[in-house]
Amino acid sequence: MGCAKDIVEYVGAPRFLFSDFPLGNPGGRPHDAESQHKTLGHALDLLEQAPGPMTTWQNPIRWSESHAWKEDYSNVEKLSAEEIVRLKAEFDRGKEIAKAKREGDDG
Amino acid sequence: MSNDNPYGFAPSEDQPIRYLQRIRDYYVTLGYGKPYEWGHYADAPFTPLKKPLQNSRVSLVTTAAPYNPEAGDQGPWSAYNSKAKFYEVYSGASDEDHDLRISHIGIDRKHTSQEDPGTWFPLPMLRKMAEEGRIGEVAPRFHGAPTNRSHRVTIEVDAAEIVRRTLEDNADVAILAAN
Repeated sequence: MGCAKDIVEYVGAPRFLFSDFPLGNPGGRPHDAESQHKTLGHALDLLEQAPGPMTTWQNPIRWSESHAWKEDYSNVEKLSAEEIVRLKAEFDRGKEIAKAKREGDDG
Repeated sequence: MSNDNPYGFAPSEDQPIRYLQRIRDYYVTLGYGKPYEWGHYADAPFTPLKKPLQNSRVSLVTTAAPYNPEAGDQGPWSAYNSKAKFYEVYSGASDEDHDLRISHIGIDRKHTSQEDPGTWFPLPMLRKMAEEGRIGEVAPRFHGAPTNRSHRVTIEVDAAEIVRRTLEDNADVAILAAN
């Protein structure tokens, strides 16, 4: 179950239930138990019905009426020069923290 | 339906986001030359179900992390938090409730609120499927997959360990809910 169609298909999976939702919502829409029940139900149906490897099914549930959310994720066309500088600093800081933590875990 | 769109075509932007291109462009723009190379297979292993799901034991694999009070903000709308990352496979009892978070993953921080764990960790919903008889039972443990950037560690260490634990639990089927 996942939300990044091109990535999962590029990597390759036996069966993939694709939900066209923002990353972080493979289980359905927030505060919407019915959509979460249906989403997992589709995944179970796919387990039973996929004819072979690399089968993708699309969850028929839509995230919202508007598709505007798709323009935002990591979209350089929407970033100002100042934002790029800030995001780079943020990313470098995150990498340092992860590195320190990983080395700490190893030791 | 307007005159300039007589067939009601959807806008071209209304399609699954092309993340591979989006992420590559993003890091190049930020000044990182060598883009991350995703693992790629043109085929995948495939095992038909050995028995109906109603009689099967189903296991869940998650990329979410146990909440760690010492690792900073992991709550709703939290920024990317690499302190909350983990580097070893972990497991939890499936018949208990768990507080798992996704602040350590490159999720959509503008549109994913991180408020409702049902969107990223469908263990309670999987238990409901067992109650409803849609699956036989939930495997005794779920398993946490580290989101490591090393192909070698993911394939040789983490995936191998998850397979080992899944087989140890006598699960018939495993579902990965990836973030």
